[in-house]
Amino acid sequence: MRVNRVTGNSYVTFAIMISSMILLDRVTKNYNRKGTALKRITLHVEPKEFVIIVGQSGAGKSTLLKLLTREEKPTSGKIIVGGIDYETLKDKKIPMLRRKIGVVFQDFKLLPNKTVFENVAFALEVVGMSNKEIRHTVPRVLDIVGLKGKEDSFPGELSGGERQRVAIARAIARQPKILIADEPTGNLDPKHAWDVIRVLEKINRYGTTVLLTTHNQEIVNKLRRRVVTIRDGQVVSDKARGEYHEL
Amino acid sequence: MKRKLITLRRIFKSGIKNFFRNSWLSVAATAVMVVALVIMLIATILNVTANNAIAELSKNLKVSIYIKEDAKKEDIETLKNALVTNEYVADVIFTSKEDAQKAFILSFQNDAKLLEGLALVGSDSLPASFDVSVRDLSKIDSIGEIAKSDTYKNVVESVTLGKTDAKKTIDRAASAQSFITLASIVAAAIFAGVSVLIIFNTIRMAIFTRAEEIRIMKLIGATPGYIRGPFLVEASMYGIIAGIIATSVVVAGVFALGDKIATQAEFSATYELFTNPVIIAAMYGAALLVGILVGVISSMLAMEKHLKLKHW
Repeated sequence: MRVNRVTGNSYVTFAIMISSMILLDRVTKNYNRKGTALKRITLHVEPKEFVIIVGQSGAGKSTLLKLLTREEKPTSGKIIVGGIDYETLKDKKIPMLRRKIGVVFQDFKLLPNKTVFENVAFALEVVGMSNKEIRHTVPRVLDIVGLKGKEDSFPGELSGGERQRVAIARAIARQPKILIADEPTGNLDPKHAWDVIRVLEKINRYGTTVLLTTHNQEIVNKLRRRVVTIRDGQVVSDKARGEYHEL
Repeated sequence: MKRKLITLRRIFKSGIKNFFRNSWLSVAATAVMVVALVIMLIATILNVTANNAIAELSKNLKVSIYIKEDAKKEDIETLKNALVTNEYVADVIFTSKEDAQKAFILSFQNDAKLLEGLALVGSDSLPASFDVSVRDLSKIDSIGEIAKSDTYKNVVESVTLGKTDAKKTIDRAASAQSFITLASIVAAAIFAGVSVLIIFNTIRMAIFTRAEEIRIMKLIGATPGYIRGPFLVEASMYGIIAGIIATSVVVAGVFALGDKIATQAEFSATYELFTNPVIIAAMYGAALLVGILVGVISSMLAMEKHLKLKHW
């Protein structure tokens, strides 16, 4: 049976495997020069969960996210996301995987010469959605992130918080099962940071699994969500209603 | 299916947009390609022209082998076989004594005195002969040698090698042709090389300017084809535009210049050939094909080197 090859042991693991949205099983990532980034990390995230990953820079958060988006391959260990086993995933299928995962970055990664509408539409054009569908979808998504009416603005005309919400709109436009937000509030002042977090919570309520990395203590402690702490490439704590205190 | 069509349309649209966005580089890339294609087309036309002219001139150039009066029939047959089976021989025409006589009378029918004289000498004064035309002019001497060889000394009276002045002209045309061919191959190769470099550079610049866009495209799940497509379209556009311009220039040139020399026998066939709509269409097709090929190859090289789609 497949499960035995994966974990070599119990049916409990099998149950976790099929019910998980994200499953990492003893994942290790070594970089040639920089040494080990992740050491035997095991983590599973249920569908519709809201998980915050905390840890200082260099702890391995970014590596973890890059493994999930398949920008990096693990040195060893098993990764299964949304039922897709990365070990058997062919390079050709990576674009299909990325379409199921929405990603938001600290630096927004918007195209400055495209309008808000075009930036969001961009993600839909890639998957071959018709112009008609796009014209229908984009305003709806912008409404969710609270940017109705900003369609024709350019990113340069928006505040940081608004830009990040455009990025979120782009990430969720295709209704991915998972939204990965990598330090989305890192460049924002507290008020705008909270705007962004509220949007993420809203999306989570609609049924999307959200994975958020941050080292903003205030946000972590007020959210009262599951917190996974990573230090030196290892999970040092995993609490259902966690808090985060800088060491 | 519908999604694929939509995607294809977006790829083309984006490629065409990029073509106009890098307008100066596009102009440079297209211009060099025009030069390369014009050289290629002119080379082809000159080659065909020279070939046709040589073929036309060659019609006058034959080896005439005169047969001895007392030659045996089977020996004549052997000689004929030797000639017909020779790989450089295009055609062998046998003229009997009677035919020679008739032809002579025909060509001198206005010269009553000459005909009277001929009648006096007798009807069989002209020898029978083989008129041998050759495929390759440089082999004309060797055909002559066959007839002159000892094997046929009982058959062959004498051998004449065409008109010498015609041969000189043809030799000159042939050497000019090989020079033109060589020079045009070298020139076309150089310009094709330059256009590969320029297009390579143009696409490289386009990749650099769009680096961020490409990175985002990868992250939001664009396929490699969706990312590469616009660059291929852009590079093909250089080829298409250059092909159209180059062929139009050359065809216009053919009509303008050809008009003046088409009346000469050596060039009339060539002029007719290159003003034939089918051939003109074929030239457009060939130039477009070569142009697109050069564009696609250069942009593939640039993408291979700079797009880094391997690390997905």
